[in-house]
Amino acid sequence: MRNYDLITPEGTKDLLFGECIIRRNIENSLLELFKSRGYSEMITPGLEFFDVFNLNSRYFPQENLYKLTDSKGRLLVMRPDSTMPIARVVATRLRDAMLPLKLCYNQTVYRTEPALKGRSDEIAQAGIELIGSELKTADLEVISTAVESLKSFGTEFSLEIGHIGIFKELVDKLDVSEHTKEKIRKHIETKNFPALNDLLDTLGNSPVTVALKKLPALFGGEDVFEKAEELMPDEKIKRKLNELREIYRDACEICGNDGKITVDLGIVNKTDYYTGLIIKGYLQGHGAEIISGGRYDKLISEFGYDVPAVGFAININGVAKVIEKSGVLPAAPKADILVFAEQGCEVAAIKKAQEYREKGFIVENALFEDIDSARAYAMEKKIAKVVVIDGSDKEEQE
Amino acid sequence: MSKPIRMALTKGRLEKDTVGLLEKLGFDCTAVREKGRKLILPVPDANLEVVLAKANDVITYVEHGVCDMGVVGKDTIMEMDGKFYELVDLGFGRCKFALAAKKGCDFYSGYGIKTIATKYPNVSRRFFEKKGMDTEIIKIEGSVELAPLLELADGIVDIVETGTTLKENGLEVIEDVAPISARLIANTVSLKLRHAEIERLINLIEENL
Repeated sequence: MRNYDLITPEGTKDLLFGECIIRRNIENSLLELFKSRGYSEMITPGLEFFDVFNLNSRYFPQENLYKLTDSKGRLLVMRPDSTMPIARVVATRLRDAMLPLKLCYNQTVYRTEPALKGRSDEIAQAGIELIGSELKTADLEVISTAVESLKSFGTEFSLEIGHIGIFKELVDKLDVSEHTKEKIRKHIETKNFPALNDLLDTLGNSPVTVALKKLPALFGGEDVFEKAEELMPDEKIKRKLNELREIYRDACEICGNDGKITVDLGIVNKTDYYTGLIIKGYLQGHGAEIISGGRYDKLISEFGYDVPAVGFAININGVAKVIEKSGVLPAAPKADILVFAEQGCEVAAIKKAQEYREKGFIVENALFEDIDSARAYAMEKKIAKVVVIDGSDKEEQE
Repeated sequence: MSKPIRMALTKGRLEKDTVGLLEKLGFDCTAVREKGRKLILPVPDANLEVVLAKANDVITYVEHGVCDMGVVGKDTIMEMDGKFYELVDLGFGRCKFALAAKKGCDFYSGYGIKTIATKYPNVSRRFFEKKGMDTEIIKIEGSVELAPLLELADGIVDIVETGTTLKENGLEVIEDVAPISARLIANTVSLKLRHAEIERLINLIEENL
């Protein structure tokens, strides 16, 4: 049998030193940002019952889940997402809590990705969930948190908003099977204009088919709303569009000149539990979205508690990649002092080192038998000062 | 001028057709025509950088966003799947996926499970799944036509252009699976972050198809 004791599984990797510093910096600054806006952190288990992710609307295809069984033979999964476990907690332990609830998290999710594609199966995510408010202010609160998060990474960014309701309303006006609706959705999602046009041509020429054909092209800035306005066949959809336009304008004002706010009416992902507003965030130099979120007013009711919610998750791996690419890896701060103990003075040396630490220095205890080795170590590690403890007075050296 | 847009082209015929199209748009593709062994070549007046790659790699590079756009056959897209935008049917590189078997044999007869040889296992599986047919699929790397002749397989799913290879080997098309042509694809983030430039290029291309 082959031994795999020297490597890590496909889609995972060890992070060392500078990589950890970057990762923790991102995580800490995001958590600080979330907390400064009144969000409370929660941690959910890495293992969940499969059933949590196997609700009526199956958002996560089972082939993408890491599965195992517990001691009773029940099916477990490695958490593929944090929003659904949080929805479970909200519907159970937090059911009587005062609304709105403002929750945040920072934990890894696990999904099986195709092998040899350079993708991670283990993704660190930080995010927020704002539960119990349908107000536009709640959407804006979440958008402005997303903008502040993107700003904190210090690179060029763009935040995109959309509204899944516009597509849903349009497609529901067509008298076609669910299968055809799914095909239309797929073509819009991939902006596959040729296939979308061919399919809609078979359904006749109506204001609805015309609007659907244009939907994937409706992305960009404010002008998108003008183009879309003319295309929308009824007042209900126009109202949704107008709500989005107001959010767009407010978001632009919140964002200022630091980044770009755009809109895409063609975001219609299948596996999403989103029911209204959709948020995506991009960083220059990263080929996939960094932020993904939106409004999910029906998800928590699948756990038996009917309450609206909105939130987003940030892909920390992605952010770290962008930052790593943009410069040299940071180094861990080096020690200021190396304390060397002559034989018999070990305890005194440990106490002395602690005294220095209390004064704010970074101090290492030398783990060598002779002072020359300790000095060579200090030289190599660029430790400026070696302190020798020999029971009498101390010798200091640059 | 801003960083050039990187466009990955599938080496071979699609590359030639795409270069022909770019020249029709009035861009100077001399560097690409006289490429030698270089794999990244500039088309300066279009602010493009052409990357030459194998079909599957075009999708990989575009998915990761190291190339903003790509030209690749629908055959590769159907087999690989992936997350990118499939924006334009370029119209060239036309052919089809077809199911073929030995001439005169009644492929669908009997209840035995059919064995299919193919370079495109995902396309084949999906095709038979839709028919509710359970098949055994064997991946072949080279000339798939050999498999039924050597009686490894009952049929093949492969790209058919003229049908000459099939005919010369005593095979015939049983059923068309899907039409194929070259597609212009784009990375999902690039299309958003470089919207204006990419849109301009696409409009130009669509006007000249």
